[in-house]
Amino acid sequence: MTTLSYIFLLPLIAAFVLALVPRNFAVIMRLGAVIATFITAILAVKMFWGFDSAVADANGYKFVSTIPWLGAESLGLACKLGVDGINVGLVLMGAIVAFAAACCSWEIKSREKEFYILLLVMTGGILGAFASLDLFFFYFFHELALVPTFIMIGLWGRGEKKNYAAFQITLYLSAGALIALIGLIALYLAVPVELRTFDIPTLTNYFLNNPMAAATQNFIFPLLLFGFGILVSLWPFHTWAPIGYGSAPTATAMLHAGVLKKFGLYGLIRVALPMMPEAAQSWMHVLAWLCVGNLLYCGWVAMQQKNFNWLVGYSSVAHMGFIFLGIASLTLVGVTGAVLVMVAHGFLAALTFGLSGYIYQQTGTLEMKDLGGLLRKLPFIGTALIMAAFAGCGLPGFANFAGEVTVFFGVWQEPSLRLIVVLACWGALIIGAVYMLRAVRNVLHADLPEKWANVSDAPHIWRKLPFIILIFSLVLFGFLPRLLTDKITPVASTIVQMARPVAAREAAVANEVLGLATPASGQAATASDEAAAQPKADTPATTDNQ
Amino acid sequence: MKLEALPWLILFLPLLAATVITLFTQKNRSVSAGLSIGAVVIAFLLSVLFVKVNGFAPEQRELAVNWLSIGDTFQIDFGFRLDPLSLGMILMVTGVASLIHIYSVGYMHDDPSFSRFFACLSLFTFSMLGIVLSNNFLQTFIFWELVGVSSYLLIGFWYEKPSAADAAKKAFITNRLGDFGFILGILIVWATLGSLNFEVLQSKAGVNAEALGAMATIGGLLIFCGAVGKSAQFPLHVWLPDAMEGPTPVSALIHAATMVAAGVYMLCRVFFILNAPALEVISYIGGFTALMAALIAVQQNDIKRILAYSTLSQLGYMVMAVGLAGQTAAMFHLMTHAFFKALLFLGSGSVILAMHHEQDIWHMGALRKKTPVTYWTFLVGTLALAGLWPLSGFFSKDSILALAQHKHNYLLFGVALFVAFLTTFYMFRLVFVVFFSSAKSKHAEHAHESPGVMTWPLRILAVLSVIGGVIGIEALFNRQFAPEQTEHAHGIVAQLIYPFQHAPVAAISGLIVFALGLVAAYALYAKATKDPLPEKLGALSRAMRNRFYFDELYEATVIRLHDLIAAIAGWFDRWIIEGFAIGLVRGGTDFAGRALRLVQTGNLQTYALLFVLGVAVLLYFALGR
Repeated sequence: MTTLSYIFLLPLIAAFVLALVPRNFAVIMRLGAVIATFITAILAVKMFWGFDSAVADANGYKFVSTIPWLGAESLGLACKLGVDGINVGLVLMGAIVAFAAACCSWEIKSREKEFYILLLVMTGGILGAFASLDLFFFYFFHELALVPTFIMIGLWGRGEKKNYAAFQITLYLSAGALIALIGLIALYLAVPVELRTFDIPTLTNYFLNNPMAAATQNFIFPLLLFGFGILVSLWPFHTWAPIGYGSAPTATAMLHAGVLKKFGLYGLIRVALPMMPEAAQSWMHVLAWLCVGNLLYCGWVAMQQKNFNWLVGYSSVAHMGFIFLGIASLTLVGVTGAVLVMVAHGFLAALTFGLSGYIYQQTGTLEMKDLGGLLRKLPFIGTALIMAAFAGCGLPGFANFAGEVTVFFGVWQEPSLRLIVVLACWGALIIGAVYMLRAVRNVLHADLPEKWANVSDAPHIWRKLPFIILIFSLVLFGFLPRLLTDKITPVASTIVQMARPVAAREAAVANEVLGLATPASGQAATASDEAAAQPKADTPATTDNQ
Repeated sequence: MKLEALPWLILFLPLLAATVITLFTQKNRSVSAGLSIGAVVIAFLLSVLFVKVNGFAPEQRELAVNWLSIGDTFQIDFGFRLDPLSLGMILMVTGVASLIHIYSVGYMHDDPSFSRFFACLSLFTFSMLGIVLSNNFLQTFIFWELVGVSSYLLIGFWYEKPSAADAAKKAFITNRLGDFGFILGILIVWATLGSLNFEVLQSKAGVNAEALGAMATIGGLLIFCGAVGKSAQFPLHVWLPDAMEGPTPVSALIHAATMVAAGVYMLCRVFFILNAPALEVISYIGGFTALMAALIAVQQNDIKRILAYSTLSQLGYMVMAVGLAGQTAAMFHLMTHAFFKALLFLGSGSVILAMHHEQDIWHMGALRKKTPVTYWTFLVGTLALAGLWPLSGFFSKDSILALAQHKHNYLLFGVALFVAFLTTFYMFRLVFVVFFSSAKSKHAEHAHESPGVMTWPLRILAVLSVIGGVIGIEALFNRQFAPEQTEHAHGIVAQLIYPFQHAPVAAISGLIVFALGLVAAYALYAKATKDPLPEKLGALSRAMRNRFYFDELYEATVIRLHDLIAAIAGWFDRWIIEGFAIGLVRGGTDFAGRALRLVQTGNLQTYALLFVLGVAVLLYFALGR
């Protein structure tokens, strides 16, 4: 048992314990959830802190442990957990967001017991999905987290459309998960019977040495791409997101938009890219053009929204475009940037939905035409919301900027995607600023309508704490992105190496042997310039460092 | 290099002040003001100390730590570039900012959000110093954006006023349009030259002028886009006049002396990237902006808007000078302009306070007697801006005129001269109407002078505006941009007469247009109670007063188009994508259900038939294959 297994087990154990408490002790439910997620978050911070000095296993994973009583040896299932540079940030982000979400659940006034149990199950599922090194549990834990989402929207959701929202989100996400499941099963079956395993590192190594046939790759990869893509609201499968987040209770929106949604992206990076390199190459342009739909089109749709939560929902869909784009570049810088945006966006989405939840609780509406001038009455919440808006439109100083700009630079290395970078910049710099500042203008600035004379700001530190923690995280990683990138880069580098077709990999190896630099892109001039000074660093940018 | 910690302190002290004020001292006004002023004044003193110890050109020109490092190709430093250009600039920024911070104590005295004001002001100072000290493109971009956001926060300081909230939003988004080009330019430079560090880039571009290849012109112009946004050049100039919704000290610091000059500073910093075609575009954009803004200024009636258009016009001068490859002239004018334009804005703030927040010059009048310090300092600022020998503006403007003449660009020389005439004309129109003639409202009759905390910064800036031309600013920037040029005038007297020896045509014609402008303004406005020009000029005057309808034009085209696209996207999303997806799934399920219901007939023979068919299929798969 390592820190990681406690991080994963604690919320589930807490959920089990709360299930035994009689339902009239609502305060205990709330306290239990807050304390359990708090300890989880502290443990996650401790793990993140100790990550660099921890011992890695043969595959580069740290804090590896197997939970013995989960899983079945006869079936080859083992609940094996571990983190490397890519998911350590996600686990940290997930644990912090879970704590913030538990803190933000003041609005729940009915059936508290069920709500907090579901919240804890969702948290455990999310953390398990990110930490799992077993293909089966990777998927299973995601489903474990997904099902409570539907129930929470249906039961504690808000607005007239909540049933339709629950219906649509269930339909979409189940379909997405199902398609991904088919892909994963096909992946499992692609290994000869005697070698079959659910162990992700073993599978990765196997496919590295025995590449899958191109036809198989081209069958499985799209299943994973679109299955995971639906889960992440890839255009045009995104309409569930705004309506879902518009109707979800605050904590659910925070956890889903912030953390659970990243599962599909994580799956693409962890499973699809390294195991199916050739298909990845051939599908990447499709993905890159689809994410223009996220970046531009969903940004435009966000400009049209009249409800603040819908606007934030669309903006979160738009932000997914940066991550997809970074992945599609298949460059080291791009993939690293994508992971950075995943973490940053988790904090940001949780922050924004938490704040909008607070405002909804005070006013009972998020229709922007009814709001206005709230900054005077809500100095703390309003200031935090302005910070969230600026983080959302990529202001330096917040982690999102570091991630987005890294993605831009990474994708720019791939000359065929430069046009998309131009469009992405337009989405990030202009469209993002337009809808975010319009929202700030309509919600916080100008005159205060008389009916909101009684709204009150966060009264004490406990109501402010979740927002302070989330803003602090955004600013910390915004000022010191190396805290994350130094962990991500080595892993991203291996994955990018694997995700290159065999031919390119061999060419790169040949170059290294000959000590030659082959100009392969616009970056070539640089590479050869540097080659003179540093004979070892002679690989052109598109093939990255060995 | 000694005292390596100083640049870090200079940069981060204001940020520290902003953070502490925001988190802890919101309620305590005097502590907030003290922290903010203390930070910027100490930063100024430390800058002086640093320059005293290391000189303007320290041998080690860079201090840097790694900020972001991914692979071999993506290495971003956080660092400082220390050379005459940046050190001269931080002296100016911290110096002028100190005066404006102190002035703000008086100006913002009665505002309930006093602490927030100082927090934002400190945040701005931090961001501006970041641009000035930056040693690479991405860091410049980072602080570029931060300057934009502090400008947003300060323009929208009185956010309850819808006009201020809208102006803030407009300023930020317009700036973002420029930044869109800027970041693309940075990407192009990085992809072709492989670095973002100014030193490395300069050596690469210096060794091989063609290093940027086919993208040279595009790349240079995209970088210039950033300056167009921040320095409010045509066609992105529309935000600056609206930015006057912010408190007046903000207009003085951000929208006159420092932030809007950042574009010019950046162009001088990365001058080596710009090739001849790009420079030509830059010079004409600058010249056009100077002319257009000066024309608009002639028919504005709001005291701050007149100064705002004047700022636009002077920024046009500087950009034009960069385009004519005269970085020294551009930076020289940037510095003197910072002195006298900050002075003019602070003076206008003093007037506005005396007039109980009335800003229309036609409601003022005869303030000369009521507010003597403001009047005298404002007059000095006006004369410096108009370019009267031997005030600072004369020298810097003359160096630009001489540059245009020297480059044989007589079109731009003519434009610059005509703009100089207009400058004198609209500034003296302002002075005559506000300080002379007769009082045109009750407030004007009962106006009184501002307190010492406001008038002392005016006095200091007035002194700087007078002597700014001969304290060695030009020589300082020549060390950076033309180290081989040894022809310097030494001694005060030699410097005073240098323009007349060096480029007599430019100097004398500059003085002639000054006289013409003064006479014209006197004739029209010395005793006027209302503006005589609208009747004389008719439609032209209307167009000038309405800012040549640029706002309306953009509203009707760019903004309308973007909103239309968004509306189409919104409709498509609502009815096509969502409708189609949900419709398909629901319809499909429904259809499948109906189809399967047909099987459930309740007829035993049908079931038996299906059963047998099933068995047959299974047998086929099990045995037949």
